Amino acid sequence: MSETAILVLMAGLFLLFGYMGVPVAFAIMAAVLAATAFTPISYQSMIGQMFHGIDAETLLAIPFFLMVGELMTSADVTQRMIRLAQVLVGHLRGGLAQVVTLFSMFFAGISGSSAADVAVLSRSIAPEMDKEGYGRAFIAALIASASTIANLIPPSIMAVVYGATGNVSIGGLFLAGVVPGVMIGIGLMIYSYFFGPIGTMKKRANLCDVYLAARGAALPMVIPVIIMGGILTGWFTPTEAGMVAAVYILVVLIPIYNRQHIWRLPADFMYTGLLYALPLALVAGASAFGWMLAYLRGPDMVADSIQHYAGTDPRMIMLLLVLLFVIVGDFIDAVPAIIIFMPIINKLTQLGDINSVHMGVVIITTLVFGLLTPPYGLALLIAAKFVGVPFYRAMFRSFPLYVVFFITIAFTVLFPEVVLWLPKTLLPESVGCFKNPSGAGYICP
Amino acid sequence: MLACGICIAGFTLCVFFDVVTRSIGMPWLWLQQATTAFFAWGVFVGTAVATRRHDHIYLAEITKRMTGARRTVIETINRLVVFVVACFMVWFGTRNAILDLGSFRMPWLIPLTVYTGIVPISGALIMLFAVEQMVNGLKYGYEGPEDNEFQAERAA
Repeated sequence: MSETAILVLMAGLFLLFGYMGVPVAFAIMAAVLAATAFTPISYQSMIGQMFHGIDAETLLAIPFFLMVGELMTSADVTQRMIRLAQVLVGHLRGGLAQVVTLFSMFFAGISGSSAADVAVLSRSIAPEMDKEGYGRAFIAALIASASTIANLIPPSIMAVVYGATGNVSIGGLFLAGVVPGVMIGIGLMIYSYFFGPIGTMKKRANLCDVYLAARGAALPMVIPVIIMGGILTGWFTPTEAGMVAAVYILVVLIPIYNRQHIWRLPADFMYTGLLYALPLALVAGASAFGWMLAYLRGPDMVADSIQHYAGTDPRMIMLLLVLLFVIVGDFIDAVPAIIIFMPIINKLTQLGDINSVHMGVVIITTLVFGLLTPPYGLALLIAAKFVGVPFYRAMFRSFPLYVVFFITIAFTVLFPEVVLWLPKTLLPESVGCFKNPSGAGYICP
Repeated sequence: MLACGICIAGFTLCVFFDVVTRSIGMPWLWLQQATTAFFAWGVFVGTAVATRRHDHIYLAEITKRMTGARRTVIETINRLVVFVVACFMVWFGTRNAILDLGSFRMPWLIPLTVYTGIVPISGALIMLFAVEQMVNGLKYGYEGPEDNEFQAERAA
């Protein structure tokens, strides 16, 4: 059997099993094992590859970022941040829609997962929005769109996976994700202001209310400072920063704000233990898939096709990759997509002489958009389920919001100097800068 | 679920004490190895638990919209796919684990089997859960209470 035929068989089986309802991790593994039968590779090494996929130190950060989100949500500490968002933007046109977006930007600095964000918003603000007549389809579409910011503003699980698989600085990816994350947030707020439902217009909060809400949310808002401050100062690795944030919630926030919740902590731990296994089971399967893809020279084939159209022009390469990942993101989850396609991304990054952090943030921003697009828009699927609206209705209502993502992706591709400004300023080594041998400052390529 | 909780609690404590002992200038090097072991065990135990609880990530839940014989056939095939993958995990995972008895992880020279041994164990649990689901599904049908949401959505 030719290499191309094995590749087609492997991809086809994965999609067939996946859409039949086999869990994604097992669909990937089954496809890889089927493809292995037509190659001289042993099954033993493929099973070993699945284990080695998760045996990476950088992936250790994922459980902590999920734990932080889960503890904040289940202990109801997030209510204080929602209150702060309400006093800041609740009086604007489409007040609750603005609150959803602003809260998502706050919460993105604490949790690295869209699912936690969707769960919080669907439980707390969605019923109130429903009463104010926003329409359930719009509520689900907005919550899903806003929750994607969690994958861009640090800490981001996608950035951890990308960094671990592609050997790219995770700190650099975290910082580079801030610009597209904030752009999506502001874009959604502008959309809600001009084109979204009006909702109930409320009085502007007075300074005293703002002060009280800010004071109430001050302790939870320390978490992003702990995480990013720890990483940027070099005190902690991303894993340790996540652990310190989790300990801070356990030792400071829960005893102060919700002492009774201490008795429910064992249940939180058990649930988080299950929760972190889900993306990492995908990582295990996808790393075997990616390895097989590389063995069958899949990256060469795709890279050659892209090179045929784009030459070595970095912008054209990135635009074609964006197109590829928009299609890929429609069908598969972001985490396996990153791992499976990493050999292709690496090859094209070298070909176009593109900064690896810039390429990473472009890919992550594109995959974040895939969380909304049918048939496999995970964030939209969860939001539609929680809000209680058929998926197709939420999907139609999310179409206009796509514009925000298109603009953000195009901006991220076309203006690397803006996207990389933050990592260049705060963590120059992460984007390939090196210390100037003749004095202070850095020399950047 | 308890095993998941133990793994993540152990993992958290290991990272915590790793940072503390390093900060006070007396690092316990074995903590890093214990961290990796808890992490890997947690992933594979969690994968098995998620199989039983239907908590895995799915591309589509088309079977939830089906009823009768068609659903039974597809759901059974899905479980068979999971079962076959689990068989591979058990058989080849065991062979890997035996082979890893001769490989050691620095600096404490712990056999790699301590880490990779969870693969066949997880595979065995997944096999068990897949069989359990198949037997129950064939006996009582695969429809569950959550299917009502899909039926309501369909009606809407």
